[in-house]
Amino acid sequence: MRLPESQLAVVEAASATDPTAVDRLADETDLDPAAVTRAAFDLREEDLVTVDERIETDAELTDEARDYLDDGLPEVRLYRAAIEAGADDEPVSMGQLIGASDLGGPQVDIALSNFARKGYGSIDSGEVAADPDADPDSDPEAAAIEALSAGESVDDTDLLDQLERRELVEQSERTVREVTLTDKAVTALMEGIEAAETVDRLTPEMLTSGEWAEVEFAEYNVEADAPAVEGGRKHILRQTADRVKDVLVGMGFQEMEGPHADADFWINDCLFMPQDHPARTHWDRFALDVPGIQELPDQLVDRVESAHREGVGEDGEGYHSPWSRDFAEAVALRGHTTSLSMRYLSGFAGANVEPPQRYFSVEKVYRNDTLDPTHLLEFFQIEGWVLAEDLSVRDLMGTFEEFYKQFGIEDIQFKPHYNPYTEPSFELFGTHPTTGELVEIGNSGMFRPEVLEPLGIEADVMAWGLALERLLMLMYGFEDIRDVHGTLCDLELLRETEVVY
Amino acid sequence: MPVVDVDPDELRDLTGHDEKSDEELKEDLFNLGLEYEGETDDGELQLEFAPDRLDRLSVEGVARSLRYQYGDDRGIYVPDTNDADWTFHVDETVPEGRPYVTGAIVRDVNLSEDALDSLIQLQEKLHATMGRKRAKAAIGIHDLTMLKGQPYDEETDGPSITYRGVDPEGVSFVPLDADAEMTPAEVLEQHATGEKYADLVADFDRYPAIYDELGLFSFPPVINGRRTEVEAESRDLLIELTGTDQWTIDHICNIICYALSARGGTIEDVDIEYADAAAADDEYGANLVRPDFSVRTKSLGHDRIETVLGVDLDQNTVIDLFERSGLSASVGDDEAGDNDGVVYEVEIPPYRVDVLHPMDLVDDLGRAYGFNELEPRYPDVGTVGGRHERTRLEDAARASLVGLGFEDLLNFHMISAEANYDRLGIEPGSGVVGAGEPVEITGPYSEDYTQLRSWVLPSLLMVLENNTHRAYPQELAEIGLAAAVDEIENTNVAEWRSIGAVIARHDATYEDAKARLAALCDDFDATLETPPTEHPSFISGRVADVVVDGETVGVIGEVHPQVLVDHDLELPVAAFELRLDALR
Repeated sequence: MRLPESQLAVVEAASATDPTAVDRLADETDLDPAAVTRAAFDLREEDLVTVDERIETDAELTDEARDYLDDGLPEVRLYRAAIEAGADDEPVSMGQLIGASDLGGPQVDIALSNFARKGYGSIDSGEVAADPDADPDSDPEAAAIEALSAGESVDDTDLLDQLERRELVEQSERTVREVTLTDKAVTALMEGIEAAETVDRLTPEMLTSGEWAEVEFAEYNVEADAPAVEGGRKHILRQTADRVKDVLVGMGFQEMEGPHADADFWINDCLFMPQDHPARTHWDRFALDVPGIQELPDQLVDRVESAHREGVGEDGEGYHSPWSRDFAEAVALRGHTTSLSMRYLSGFAGANVEPPQRYFSVEKVYRNDTLDPTHLLEFFQIEGWVLAEDLSVRDLMGTFEEFYKQFGIEDIQFKPHYNPYTEPSFELFGTHPTTGELVEIGNSGMFRPEVLEPLGIEADVMAWGLALERLLMLMYGFEDIRDVHGTLCDLELLRETEVVY
Repeated sequence: MPVVDVDPDELRDLTGHDEKSDEELKEDLFNLGLEYEGETDDGELQLEFAPDRLDRLSVEGVARSLRYQYGDDRGIYVPDTNDADWTFHVDETVPEGRPYVTGAIVRDVNLSEDALDSLIQLQEKLHATMGRKRAKAAIGIHDLTMLKGQPYDEETDGPSITYRGVDPEGVSFVPLDADAEMTPAEVLEQHATGEKYADLVADFDRYPAIYDELGLFSFPPVINGRRTEVEAESRDLLIELTGTDQWTIDHICNIICYALSARGGTIEDVDIEYADAAAADDEYGANLVRPDFSVRTKSLGHDRIETVLGVDLDQNTVIDLFERSGLSASVGDDEAGDNDGVVYEVEIPPYRVDVLHPMDLVDDLGRAYGFNELEPRYPDVGTVGGRHERTRLEDAARASLVGLGFEDLLNFHMISAEANYDRLGIEPGSGVVGAGEPVEITGPYSEDYTQLRSWVLPSLLMVLENNTHRAYPQELAEIGLAAAVDEIENTNVAEWRSIGAVIARHDATYEDAKARLAALCDDFDATLETPPTEHPSFISGRVADVVVDGETVGVIGEVHPQVLVDHDLELPVAAFELRLDALR
């Protein structure tokens, strides 16, 4: 018979007649107790040993009990002070005794309650009378503490329980296993058992020499924790952006690309935003300290200016607002990626604008807004538009329903709204998948003729915009977007956030 | 978005629907696009709405819209006006920066405390929106009985007032909320309202003023005189508006006249005469009669309505929907012949400032029809989707970095000069990687965000700085925007995507960074060379140019201990940064 070394050691150390405890086997074999236990159970599988289990209770002294080893139990000290003061004769005032016995703090209460319990005397109206017949030298609790301290066992369970109630002893249970050899083991021992070699690691040499076939591999504790590893992972906001891009590409949208710093012409004027619109004041916009844009398509600029001043079409009216080319040329950080839509729809970006077309972008925009847990100065906007002949608001509703359905947001509601650049316009509301709350999830509409005609677009265009961060917060339930996006981010949060797919 | 406070009792009163509960009213209001936001301490409903229908900035306008919705009123309504008695004379001394005036007289108004509050609110909301905080239009409303008209001239004996310019210190009057006479200049310095609006007239040599025979009674756009203050007991009112655009002030005047008409007032015209014809608006000329209640007409084809709403409608339904929107419509001639003969001539009331194009009327029809009645449909339009080459490259590079064990990060493009240059030990314009000329923001939100970052490394070091309590190693990478001023660019701003990476751990070395950079370049079949260089952000002798396919595109090295200490880092950091387009 061949056995792994640890099992062989246990068989050799155990006896067929006297059950041997695991701890003792561990001492004799130089294995650790866990290894002995593991070996014993493996041997039991082979019917080579029996394993008996029983529960033993250990009692251990608390720090308080160790203090009493030197000073004596408080009630004993109180009794001795009482005898000294003659309280076996005449009751003595408690204050006097406490002073004499040098008891302090909580020990006073401990002394008084146990004094009476043990029949050392009585306490009445603040006077202590001592029983002359009591014998504190044979106090069983003191004796038990002494014994435990000396490493001896105390068998009186009532006494131990009493000491545990006094918080002088902590009792704990442990399983004691004893191993006894079976007849099969005895026979095998007599016939001789060989040790099988175990190895820690599989080495290249073992593989080439063929030695691997001869060895047993030492067992690992496969349940033990391994050291933590932080793998690389894509930022969760990027993951969310990629998911959005996947959905839009699947719906037939082409991606747009363009400058973050752009002329107000592309950001606002093309969108039929009057130059004195409150959103175009320095309060809302990040103007850049650089000269105006060098080149704008002049004919388009003229058509846009005309739309602002005169409107478009026979019955069109313009705004009654000032308009200057200088302001149109001023460079600012884009407040929305609709600037890209304008560049694409105008043909300036070189895109094909023969209907039908679908375009999108998921890119950063900049707003001079208040920085708080749900608003950042820069965030990602999902921008999309569809160019086709004879689009209706029903097509718009159907497109957005389909888009949001991909993110588990059903029952989109369309609230009629006003934007300077779309008509009709709708705010989109959706139900939060977990909280059931109605949240605004986007803004949409059909581009106005004043936007499209200067661009030379004759078909209809429906468009919408949405903050990616809002979708992220809906999907992940984050409360403060600053933990995720920006230099104040928390690496642990980014590392531990569950992947959403 | 504007919020208007509306007393529900007043609303029941003005609509004639006493039976409506507050809840019913809220629902009816939501259907108009007025969203219930809460209540004031006095139990008024706070309603938020998009800033197009400025005629709904008071309870009178909201009630009018509800009456149309309920079908109590139909079609366009224009109040009758009485002939002019008063003249507004506009003198040549009027400041060029505020040339226009308009107004009206309203008699026998049934004012009360509530009605007066509503009028004041309307005035304030119109100032805030269409009036562009009084810069474009300012409204003054006066108790007519406190005014004494000047005889206009020898031939006409009608009363008049004069809009003129005055020496800021040459006249004095008692403004509202004051007990003593002040000159206009003193108002701007000493009166709370004056201080608030001082900027609007600060550049003027002469300040705008309106006079009657007794003297100055209005100092637009700043404050009225106390003499003509309107009380709840006032019955006859004079309205004057000044501003930078005749159309704008005329239309705000219309909205106020409609609100006062709903309070039982009778509108009376005023004559407006510009002494200097050149100062008057070309479109209207030097002699005007106001308020201008002329009705605009726009034509709209039946086909276009059906296309935009995506439903079939018969003509009677369309006309009915127009009338329920407070418009009037008739079937007109299809001169162009491209609408199958059906074109509606739609009349638009003078309080509608939002209708610029016939498309705006389609929106009115849709709201009256109920957009929620429309069935969504997925458009039957086939297109091919795809990603832009630039973002595909970025994604591929990001996937390589993540595969190399970097945690992908996302930082702000805006940064401070201190974080971008000073704490990295570099000077803008010094020629090293990261030292591009700053693209500065004219009115930054805070001193932490004053420019666009010129490289990514400072952002990554700030993340390390803010996460010293988190487990190491910290191996971070970001591909993001960087920018610098560059006159070559059309926008004068060069923008590019930059790859930044940092390895922060107790034994990080140049070699660790180089190994990963080499692996990244390998993925894109790019040839990497790292000739020695000097860069203040890195340890001398442990820093190299990143040269990809023969072109210098970045820097790699061990971050300088001074930079680490300045970021409160207590372990070495190896780093590299290069332009993403080097991997193309």
